[in-house]
Amino acid sequence: MNTVREVEIPTGSMKARGPEVAPVTSGRADVSFEVSLSMGSTANNITEENTRRTPGEEQDDSLDDGSDGETWVFYRERKEWADITPVPQDDGPHAVVKIAYTEAFSDVYDYLRAVVAKGELSERALYLTEDAINMNAANYTVWQYRRKILRHLGSELEQELNFCREMIEMNPKNYQVWHHRRVIVEWLGDGSKELKLTEIIFSQDAKNYHAWEHRQWALKTFKLYDGELDYVDRLLEEDVRNNSAWNQRHFTISQTTGFTKEVIQREVEYTKAAITKVVDNESPWSYLRGVVQHCEGGLASVGDLWEWCQKMYDEGQCSPHLLTFMLDLMEDRMERQPDLRPSLLKRCLEEADAVGYVISLPPSRGQQTVALEMAMNSDNFTGVLTYIINS
Amino acid sequence: MSGGEYPFLRARHVKYFRRCLQVLPFTSVTFDTSRMAVLYFALSGLDLLDGLSELDIKERQHIINWIYSLQILPGNDRDEQACAGFRGGTTLASCRGKSSCDAVSQLDCGHITMTYTALASLIILGDDLSRVERPAVMAHVAALQCPDGSFFSTRGGSENDMRFMYCAAAICYILQDFSAINTTSATKYILNSMSYEGAMGQGTHLEAHGGSSYCAIATLHLLGKLDSSLSRTQILGALDYLDTTALRQFVLSTQDPITGGLAKYPNSNPDGLHTYLGISGLSLLRKDDLKPVDPALNISQQALSHLHQLHKNISKNPTVPC
Repeated sequence: MNTVREVEIPTGSMKARGPEVAPVTSGRADVSFEVSLSMGSTANNITEENTRRTPGEEQDDSLDDGSDGETWVFYRERKEWADITPVPQDDGPHAVVKIAYTEAFSDVYDYLRAVVAKGELSERALYLTEDAINMNAANYTVWQYRRKILRHLGSELEQELNFCREMIEMNPKNYQVWHHRRVIVEWLGDGSKELKLTEIIFSQDAKNYHAWEHRQWALKTFKLYDGELDYVDRLLEEDVRNNSAWNQRHFTISQTTGFTKEVIQREVEYTKAAITKVVDNESPWSYLRGVVQHCEGGLASVGDLWEWCQKMYDEGQCSPHLLTFMLDLMEDRMERQPDLRPSLLKRCLEEADAVGYVISLPPSRGQQTVALEMAMNSDNFTGVLTYIINS
Repeated sequence: MSGGEYPFLRARHVKYFRRCLQVLPFTSVTFDTSRMAVLYFALSGLDLLDGLSELDIKERQHIINWIYSLQILPGNDRDEQACAGFRGGTTLASCRGKSSCDAVSQLDCGHITMTYTALASLIILGDDLSRVERPAVMAHVAALQCPDGSFFSTRGGSENDMRFMYCAAAICYILQDFSAINTTSATKYILNSMSYEGAMGQGTHLEAHGGSSYCAIATLHLLGKLDSSLSRTQILGALDYLDTTALRQFVLSTQDPITGGLAKYPNSNPDGLHTYLGISGLSLLRKDDLKPVDPALNISQQALSHLHQLHKNISKNPTVPC
């Protein structure tokens, strides 16, 4: 029943080799990179794959998918491969975690094994790797072999960048495609297309970790910082909760102007404005803390932060981010100005009820007083306070 | 499913992992080079579910043999040893017999994550690690460390980051030989990866992330550098802060009531990774009568005791390989 079938592979070799781009799939907007301690370094997320068509995926239902009508021919039936004896996979007598390979998959990989064993570095082997990658873009050894061939043939690398872009757009959360991209860009010594590429990916998923990592690498390697802060501004205008963009803001400033006094002041104002829009979102609060950490005078030394917080608090705002930030401000001031400790600790105590659901102080008020007095009189004030807050 | 309490579908998850050990559908083909990792998720998951007894002695032995069959056994040549370790699958394994050319050995290399998951799987199955080529595995780990302290995954070229650092630390801990790691540069890399958010990214300046923070902290722990590097109370020992009931309900809401297994989100398809990590998380919360897990090595505490026993045996008799 399962004899030679005509099946389609969306971007296979044979003829569709140019810049035809397979449909760009939409990534989901989450940060997950499926920490691949998990998966070596592979892996798209399976759950995503089930919601979209991937090259080489189950072919039974792909005959009528309306793609360019290209017909798949098995390698074993191709004249130009007649000189090669395919090498089957050897999984041993009692394999575990087997995969139900399709016939087309086994055919491609049988020929791949054959050319690898032969040490063949040729154009046709290059095309073969493209089919192998289309069927499993997470197979890092195929990518390594492909790079070996490209090197050997002195292939046109601009064309390789196009192929790589297509692969990235189809597999935006796959480690191998991004790594390949980086190697090719390094070989070319030209990072001019990288910012644009990552922007395409961010337009589908503004938090794609791979793309951010790639962008930071390109910015650093090719010194492309001009305009980066404006780009981050645009992303934050689109979504002020985009933690990746806040992180990029911190990165960009640290690599360019640095956190000078003026920059800190500017960033504090910028972040305060953002917080007013989304007081319950943690990202700008974290960034604010990150910015003022660069200030030699500590958290409390920047402008009117305390008054600004106090005003929000008085207006009834009780976001846990506001309350913990106020506690940080108080702690910082107490650390620097021991004479303020009695009055500020009293204030901490008063707010204990309000922040009780965020930070667990000892349960009874008596215990709290003892604990806080202990902190006040200790040489290791911050240490004790941290202990209390965490106990 | 919506609302109410979700029951924990233990028996179905046992079956799910049993199926993972046999055959995965073609939609899982991206795991073709990571089958060892899938094996490990299934075995460690079965262990936490107290379901390893489902595998009879013969089946266990077959699995152990399969794992060892993926170990690369190099000669004494240092370059060859750098390409040693365990593979994650057999994609290129059969090329070796067909050719003597170096091209194959450079492509058919061990992978650091597969080496870690192979060793962890062997421990879970009660193996004594006596067939592990220790010098070659150590040469493989040593060859993968970058000047910045982080690790590559494989000799043939890969990205380098915190994930592979963790795998290196786990391998060295299991084999009780830290000579392959420059721990000073590794620790420096980890601390440089701490972002303003107070947690770690995959590298310097990258966004802090739960996954990389876990890898970073577990690495410091395995290297014995945790207390000297980080203030423990800031990051760890904080399980009390979690709303464990809500967490459990979320994890259970991702169960697939028909096939078993857990997914990343409710109403999506389960996979071995999320099934294992979900169950492992419940074990950390001491829920659902699961065996306790060791959070640093990601094996049950029972499997860890077995490993510690092996460690005692080597220290008693250093000539016996661990």
